[in-house]
Amino acid sequence: MRGAQRGSASDLEALFDAHWPRAHRAAYLVVHDSALAEDIAQEAFLAAIRNLDRFDRGRAFGPWLHRIVVNRAIDAARARSLRREAELTEGAAAEDAREPADSTVLAALAGLPPEQRAVVVMRHLLGYTPGEIARALDLPRGTVNSRLRRGLDAMRSEL
Amino acid sequence: MRRELAQVPVPDADAAEQRARAVVVSAFAAQEPVPARRRPGRLAAALVAAVLAAIVAGAALSPPGRAVVERIREAVGVEDAEPALFRLPAPGPLLIHAEDAAWIVRPDGSRRRLGAYREASWSPFGRYLVAARANELLALEPGGSTRWSLARRAPGHARWAGTQTDTTIAYVDRTGLRVVAGDGTGDRLLSPAEDGPLAWRPGARHELAYVKASEVRVQDTESGRVLWRGNRGLNFPVLALEWSTDGRRLLVVSAYALRVFDERGRVVAQDDPSDGTLEVDAAFRPGTHEVVAIRRHGSQSTVFHLRSGKPVFSGTGVFTELEWSPDGRWLLIGWETADQWVFVRPAAPRRIRAVAGISAQFDSRGFPRVEGWCCPG
Repeated sequence: MRGAQRGSASDLEALFDAHWPRAHRAAYLVVHDSALAEDIAQEAFLAAIRNLDRFDRGRAFGPWLHRIVVNRAIDAARARSLRREAELTEGAAAEDAREPADSTVLAALAGLPPEQRAVVVMRHLLGYTPGEIARALDLPRGTVNSRLRRGLDAMRSEL
Repeated sequence: MRRELAQVPVPDADAAEQRARAVVVSAFAAQEPVPARRRPGRLAAALVAAVLAAIVAGAALSPPGRAVVERIREAVGVEDAEPALFRLPAPGPLLIHAEDAAWIVRPDGSRRRLGAYREASWSPFGRYLVAARANELLALEPGGSTRWSLARRAPGHARWAGTQTDTTIAYVDRTGLRVVAGDGTGDRLLSPAEDGPLAWRPGARHELAYVKASEVRVQDTESGRVLWRGNRGLNFPVLALEWSTDGRRLLVVSAYALRVFDERGRVVAQDDPSDGTLEVDAAFRPGTHEVVAIRRHGSQSTVFHLRSGKPVFSGTGVFTELEWSPDGRWLLIGWETADQWVFVRPAAPRRIRAVAGISAQFDSRGFPRVEGWCCPG
């Protein structure tokens, strides 16, 4: 991180290698669209490097990046669901832009609202505590806990 | 649960990582702080002068040599840039977006802040503007007064087109791609779930180009019929979508693909940069099918002619955009790293004029965006 802040391209690449796979996967699990997930994770990295000079070296890069990724993924998933709703109400041919869920857990996750998907992904893929998720998503901790509980209950019944 | 989530296959993951790595590394290289111009010691200054003189003497005799010389000369901004925008080099006002506000710059250099808008663009003859706020689409007089407004959620990418007597605005909001008459009536949904940018085909017909996933589509907005679809290459956000003045060519630019389509949707020119090179912007020279584009590779940006590949202008750092003057004689290049606008007249006798301190002139912390130089035709 320090090397990247000093302008070292190789350190930036090391940072990318260390954090891209989980950031991309987290975005994909929230939006269920690989092209959109790629855009979200890429934009998050670009936003992060634009603000490298302001980054506090005492903090970890991962949570900072994940906060950007997950918040953007929630926004994208919400926008998509709004548009799908509009398609149906306008009577046009509905087109599900999401990719087919070819994994059981992915299918179960797909049935959740984006906000629940995000907390499940942050808790069980990225390993954050409910308190950390609450800070990252700017939510009350109780809301995080209830979204987690509802999300997991719904996934269990689906599985 | 954790193991299962970690094992869910992400389609195209390896290719996505490679693409993203190239973009991120290029962006990182491009944003490296540009060293401030140092005052060299006398010996160093003498050496630099001698080397430059030798290069100039040896290289300036040939066009490629001249390009090299200009690259050195213009490494961190054009020397002798004017400290303020005293006047534009060509007729027609500029529409600028800076720090969440729209501005009009007159050819005499006078600037007028229209108000707080997220974006704005000209009507076809420059009599009005269409602007957007968070939940409002507005038609404005160039003086800034509002003619009409529509409450819409997150409107954007608004484009106004038509003839002297019949104009239409296309825009995108949360419901999808919509059209509304130039007087603010008849607002309706054209296509759900689309996003910008949008481009009206010049002329009396109501034909609109827009992007859907990896396709570009041209649709008659009156009949709803899709006239043609074209493959625009890799599915990256579209940076520029523009018709030639005669409506016979359509230009589509994204980071890794530039396509020029003819009026039937056939690709007639393309550019697919590799090795971390990015397309940034491109535009037709008014009245022609000649395309000029910006490419960025590492910390170097270059404006070049698509057909010949000849460089028009290059420099260190980030060029954000290019905009032709309505008469097609001058090219405005936004050089963010140098905080300059560079006006280049590519035809002989070639001329370069630069203006420094652009952000401060629009009270902006970010580099202002040129929304249009009015008005073609």
